[in-house]
Amino acid sequence: MKVKLHIWRQKNNKEKGKFETYELNNVLEDMSFLEMLDVLNEKLILEGKEPVAFDHDCREGICGACSLTINGIPHGPEKATTTCQLHMRKFKDGDEIWIEPFRAKAFPIIKDLVVDRSAFDRIIQAGGFISVNTGQAPEANSILVPKQNADNAMDAAQCIGCGACVAACPNGAAMLFVGAKVSHFAYLPQGQPERKLRVLKMVEQMQKEGFGNCSNLYECEAACPKEISVRFIALMNRDYLKASCSEEKLEVINNE
Amino acid sequence: MGLLNYLRSTILSKVVMAITGAILVIYVIVHTAGNLLIYLGQDTLNSYSQFLHSLGPILWIIRIILIVSAILHIVTSIKLKFENWGAKPTKYAVKNYLKAKFSSRTMIWTGIMVLAFVVYHLLHFTIRVTNPQHYYPEFYQPHNAVSYVLLERFDVYKMVVLGFKNPLISIIYIIGVVIVGFHLDHAIQSMFQTLGYNQKHYFPIIQKSSTALAIIIVICLVSIPISVLLGLVGGKI
Ligand code: HEM
Ligand code: SF4
Ligand code: FES
Repeated sequence: MKVKLHIWRQKNNKEKGKFETYELNNVLEDMSFLEMLDVLNEKLILEGKEPVAFDHDCREGICGACSLTINGIPHGPEKATTTCQLHMRKFKDGDEIWIEPFRAKAFPIIKDLVVDRSAFDRIIQAGGFISVNTGQAPEANSILVPKQNADNAMDAAQCIGCGACVAACPNGAAMLFVGAKVSHFAYLPQGQPERKLRVLKMVEQMQKEGFGNCSNLYECEAACPKEISVRFIALMNRDYLKASCSEEKLEVINNE
Repeated sequence: MGLLNYLRSTILSKVVMAITGAILVIYVIVHTAGNLLIYLGQDTLNSYSQFLHSLGPILWIIRIILIVSAILHIVTSIKLKFENWGAKPTKYAVKNYLKAKFSSRTMIWTGIMVLAFVVYHLLHFTIRVTNPQHYYPEFYQPHNAVSYVLLERFDVYKMVVLGFKNPLISIIYIIGVVIVGFHLDHAIQSMFQTLGYNQKHYFPIIQKSSTALAIIIVICLVSIPISVLLGLVGGKI
């Protein structure tokens, strides 16, 4: 099949970017979207041109490295699917495809379609963990987790940290990502000791990174390749409110 | 500024939007129900208005709560909006919305228009400066009066009917109320989400009810100017 690609090209964060148009005539339906870009890059290299920079790693939908906003939708048109798992059969012969980087102030462009998502790492460092001493794993059944909580925690833990939620949000908000990470621990007994401090610190870091505010547009949920639900944002809001009136809040204020 | 410290927190800002919004929504619901008394006739509506004014200090407490809510609602929304524009400096060349509705994406614009409408509405019916020729006293007989002395009170019914007989004024109200409806369509369910009430099974119901309630409010309020224009209400005046 044939496709016409409009791809965002940008040398680095300082220079202005623009769309370049490329035509590919030998695309197979069974190629993944990234394989299609590989074909384009091989062609560009043979022509002595600069290949298109894009992020990827596992190519099996679990690492969260791939990105791309395809025809205005982060990770493209297929529901609950990462770009690496999107296949060209979802497009028609002769389609025009617009490929842009994930856009948000907190995700500065590094090159072409590659953006810096390290803001997410700093949010995780602020509280997305439980403090335990390493050593032997305890007996699995020594701490009981109700089935419903385990299910909810697993739903939230599906988040692969790809940043599509931020890319989809017209406000560049990271509430779905942070909501998922906060909720994942909030549903488990191991998450309880640091529950309030965690939500305060992660939200504070999220704000420092320059993400926008939530307007409850729910675009994040629709774009998320792991179908993380906005009810985790609601849970985070509730936890944050409770934590704001707690001793942990004073601790955060005093440490500032 | 101590009171406005909450503005530094994204979530607390949203909570203030939700709580002040809830106060205004409750007001709109009560106000809509009160306005429907126009269908029960001149005496009922005027007695209701008289009752409201007789509340004296209570009326003022309610007014102050409403004014403070409106101010906090507006100040917070402006701060949130400016931050949001800043957080997404480059727009996509192509943008396909998947879930965001027209009403959700236009909150700041419908909000500004609702404010303009409310200001006009207050000048028109509450402060009463835009149409001084419509303001009359009504002479009425108290219900459980022993004597036949007629008392005097403000004729709200006549004011509303004379106002809405002017098609231009009616159109302003109809457009204004429809814009309020768009604002509420997103607002009501949004309040629940912000305040942390989103459960798997109930939230879809809340979202549908939000739209339904907005539509009911619009129909109730829009029916008044339309009934007056069609002569169904206040034909005698
Ligand atoms: C067609 C629809 C409406 C009608 C017929 C109507 C009618 C009235 C009337 C007659 C008054 C004066 C009451 C009195 O002085 O006794 C009033 C006051 C008021 N209305 Fe409306 N109204 C309508 C829609 C709205 C909407 C949609 C809003 C708001 C979002 C609103 C906000 C207010 C406010 C804030 C006051 C002043 C309350 C006070 O401080 O006493 N109205 N309205
Ligand atoms: S919530 Fe979804 S869209 Fe956001 S980072 Fe996690 S997996 Fe990606
Ligand atoms: S490359 Fe790992 S999820 Fe797409």
